[in-house]
Amino acid sequence: MKMFHSIDISASGLTAERLRMDIISNNIANVNSTRTENGEPYRRQIPVFQERGRSFGDILSDKQWRMQKRGVRVVGIRQDTSPFKLVFDPHHPDADENGYVRLPNVNIVTEMVDMISASRGYEANVTAINSAKNMAMKALEIGRI
Amino acid sequence: MPQIYSNIDLFEKVLDALWLRNEVISNNIANVNTPGFKSSSVVFEDILKKEIEEKGTGIKGYITHNKHIPIGKKGLMDIRPQVVINKNTALRNDGNNVDIDNEMAQLTKNTLKYNSIVQLVMKEFSILKNIVNEGRR
Repeated sequence: MKMFHSIDISASGLTAERLRMDIISNNIANVNSTRTENGEPYRRQIPVFQERGRSFGDILSDKQWRMQKRGVRVVGIRQDTSPFKLVFDPHHPDADENGYVRLPNVNIVTEMVDMISASRGYEANVTAINSAKNMAMKALEIGRI
Repeated sequence: MPQIYSNIDLFEKVLDALWLRNEVISNNIANVNTPGFKSSSVVFEDILKKEIEEKGTGIKGYITHNKHIPIGKKGLMDIRPQVVINKNTALRNDGNNVDIDNEMAQLTKNTLKYNSIVQLVMKEFSILKNIVNEGRR
């Protein structure tokens, strides 16, 4: 049990939520991008979060809930494999022979909801850091009588 | 005559448990958007209450050598906070069961508790200081 573990844990949450926010911004910015490097329209990206758990060795050596390496970790950024939106627009330069354009599978409403969720998660982590800081500051007062 | 620092030792135990709870709540909050994450909580007050109520009852083996195995009931100083994972509930479709409102409330409560215990420790030290000074300033 270390003094600054709480803050490290919350900091990992801050990092994860900020990355999520970046990815959401990227999704929203590319909501109409019909061209990418691989020739397809832009695919929506999703961050994958995982709890930073205990390793097998930690469990073997100690049954107590050790605060080593806790928090959240981003294990990767995956692509949303759902189908692209088809929009009839024969004058678009990327339209196929039938006049349909494939638009990215980004749903702006979903992105907005995710954005609110990410920003609330970020705020919650900031509050947790503040409260850990308050507790540590209060503990420092013990020596001062 | 009771041990001079016995209260402070007890407060120290409580402070350790509250700090652990702060870490556990931080972990829950950090994982608020992690699919499949199950929240944890710290059980301490109930263990402490049970220990205080059963104080003086039961037997406890003396330990006179560091290879002795402790037998009998535990003393007040041997109790440890337990971390329990709440596996049975699911709040959302992705299997995550962090209730963020509850976690924030617990966090505030925990900080207040911690600050008040620190206040008690400081009070205890000021009493001791008063005794050492024979009541003089």
